[in-house]
Amino acid sequence: MKFTLSRRQLLVGFGGVASWLMAQPIAQAAKTAVKKVFVSTQAPKGYDPFKHKWLMCIDADRCIGCGACVEACKTENHVPSESMYFRTWIERYIIKKPAAGSGDARGEVLVDSPNGGRGGFPPSMVPRTDILKAFFVPKLCNLCEKSPCTQACPVGATFDSPDGAVLVDPNYCIGCGFCIQACPYGCRFLNPETHTADKCSLCYHRITRELKPACVEVCPGQARIFGDLKNPVENDPLQAFIRKNKVQALKPNLGTDPRVLYANIDKEVR
Amino acid sequence: MDPVSTAQAVNEVQTLVTHIDGYVYPNEQNLLWSVLIVVYPYITGLVAGAFIMASLVRVFSVQALAPAYRLALLTALAFLLCAPLPLLLHLGHPERCLEVIVTPHVSSPMAMFGFVYAWYIMAVLLLELWLEYRRDFVVWGQRERGFKGLLYRLLTLGATDVSPGALHLDERLSQTITIIGIPSAFLLHGYVGFIFGSIKANPWWGNVLMPIIFIFSAIVSGMALCVVVYMALNWVRRRAADDACLDKMGMFLFFALLVDFSVEALDWIHRLYQAEESIHVLKQLAAGKLFYSLLVGQLCLGTLAPLFLLGATQLLRERIAMWLRRRIYFISAVLIMVGVLMMRWNVVIGGQLFSKSLRGFTTFKLEPAGQEGWLMGLALMILPFVILGVLVRYFLPILPVTAAAGEPASAEK
Amino acid sequence: MTPLKLPPQILRLVLLTVTILGSYGVMRHMLRPASFGEYGHYRGAALEEIAARPPTYAGMKACNECHSDIVQKVAKFEHKTVACEACHGPGREHAKDPDVKNAKLNDRLCLRCHEVDEARPAWLKQIAEKSHFRGDRCVDCHVPHQPKETP
Repeated sequence: MKFTLSRRQLLVGFGGVASWLMAQPIAQAAKTAVKKVFVSTQAPKGYDPFKHKWLMCIDADRCIGCGACVEACKTENHVPSESMYFRTWIERYIIKKPAAGSGDARGEVLVDSPNGGRGGFPPSMVPRTDILKAFFVPKLCNLCEKSPCTQACPVGATFDSPDGAVLVDPNYCIGCGFCIQACPYGCRFLNPETHTADKCSLCYHRITRELKPACVEVCPGQARIFGDLKNPVENDPLQAFIRKNKVQALKPNLGTDPRVLYANIDKEVR
Repeated sequence: MDPVSTAQAVNEVQTLVTHIDGYVYPNEQNLLWSVLIVVYPYITGLVAGAFIMASLVRVFSVQALAPAYRLALLTALAFLLCAPLPLLLHLGHPERCLEVIVTPHVSSPMAMFGFVYAWYIMAVLLLELWLEYRRDFVVWGQRERGFKGLLYRLLTLGATDVSPGALHLDERLSQTITIIGIPSAFLLHGYVGFIFGSIKANPWWGNVLMPIIFIFSAIVSGMALCVVVYMALNWVRRRAADDACLDKMGMFLFFALLVDFSVEALDWIHRLYQAEESIHVLKQLAAGKLFYSLLVGQLCLGTLAPLFLLGATQLLRERIAMWLRRRIYFISAVLIMVGVLMMRWNVVIGGQLFSKSLRGFTTFKLEPAGQEGWLMGLALMILPFVILGVLVRYFLPILPVTAAAGEPASAEK
Repeated sequence: MTPLKLPPQILRLVLLTVTILGSYGVMRHMLRPASFGEYGHYRGAALEEIAARPPTYAGMKACNECHSDIVQKVAKFEHKTVACEACHGPGREHAKDPDVKNAKLNDRLCLRCHEVDEARPAWLKQIAEKSHFRGDRCVDCHVPHQPKETP
């Protein structure tokens, strides 16, 4: 008697759970249908992600540290305006002269990125005469071939898109932050408004509409070189950049195999 | 004010009121993981350790520990029930948590948590407890009335056969499950270490020794928890603790702590000798931001002091009176528990205090309230004890144990 | 009652295991999003959803549709690499409705690029604001669209 009781309860409970679960996809389907109708008027038409492979490269010698890219990125992607959330930012490297008679080739290295470089850099505290050399480096998602963030995501909410971007699905991300810890380049943050991971998407909503990413669009010095590796145009700037420069990737020792290539940066950049 | 000059004003202010030493990537200024992620590996570790303690009785036939056997298992269960809570609560979208088991990403250590956890709680701990208690459930179910009786009768799942043959089968099954349970407990906590150890981006975490360190610190903390709970329960019930059992627990605690200390020392020796690119920032971290929690808390108070105290009881057992030994065991156990909590803190918080650019440090502001505040962490640390209280009330009645301490358990062997 | 000759406790455990695994299977089947796994371990629909967000910056092509004269003029001078929206700000609203005006510009904008900084590359023309001749505004002496010309 006891046995039938517990089994009956089990079956009833099981049935209840199953029917609740069955109702879920119906509700979900209805929701996505509504969503599709709502957004489809704006979605880019006829874009096939398998026919493109996008890439951005950085020529540090062309970066003037104006911060227009940071500003544009924040506006374009609705990145929270606080100074601790950036999809792209600019770093200023100042390498001081070595102390006289020290026998060193170079002195102390100072790096700063006040407010991510948004709105430009205030004058450096280091006197001009103490500086051996200095330069700016724009940073963004390094579009790793073997991206540690994608590897770490527990649910498949971050992924390498077929056309070369590393994207976050904001409707699926659980906000655990593991990908943020896994990114060696500090390119990710937890968006305080959506409570999901956020990062450079190569302006996916722009490149699918034949527009350049916002940072590339506004960069006055053309430090950011953007292109489609599968469809090179005539005198393709990306191809020319890779051909003409000795390029390097950041933190190659980690085996993440970043696709973003940098030219004219110093060994101190990481 | 236009956006550009506003931005410049922000820059000026930022360089003034900065809590940053050196340079950190802008996105790293505030810590992402806080108290909850400190509590999570701590609780999980206590589970693994308590289970290992229990399995000493069954697999290695350490009969002296039998009085604490059931308590150790119930402790493991109480803490295991709470283990996923801090993880769940720290999520940005807790309502999406089922995704972890619906579409688990096999390459993610975190995705495997659901499965390792489910395996451990259902295939090991609950099964072990059920087999251990089945005979009692049947007996109590017949004796008790009302809710309690119903609960016991339900828990038999209808398997009411208590003939010697059936009990012998329980015993054999139980033995097998404990043997599976030991690697499972290692897996459960080794995997927690792997969550951190697999992050190659972070030199403080990404380390092959990490799972090993986590396993041994887990064993140490779980055993210490068993000592504390066992002594506290006997104190509450105004009964004398079993001295032989305490001495045995003290011995295992000492050796486990010794191994744990050696492994962590090995980790540091290895890091210092290899002296990779990150060693400068890690040295500064240990000597600066983590001075009190690492060197004072974890090393001196949490490891060296109990090693010394427990070592004394091992070397001079005959010369130290039992009442003093009891106090030494209790104090050492508490110190160890605090030390292991500090260790979790040093790993989780310490790993986020320095920049992955290896150029600077940020500061952690511990807030009382909020999702990641210390009040939440405290609540999560108290909850398993409350659950344990309930479990003890229902499943560890005073009478059968006082009738003859350890007798029912040893009779089953 | 049972045709199988299993001991009762094993039978209960087997039943329980089957129930748990079965409900996991059902749940997994039910909750998995429709487009999941279409291209990889993620929701295929996410690509479209992420692409659906409307842009804020219109791009040079849109500017060129009405202001081709200015675009062509700028292309002949030093500021040829500077896109319209680099200075004038996001223009999609303006492109959709010309009555929406872009923000007014001021001298800060010039200094953001041309104020001297050691980290700036040598090819860039730089001035030190304090020692540079101070008229009322930069545009009193310089024409942003044709930097070499004087007004």
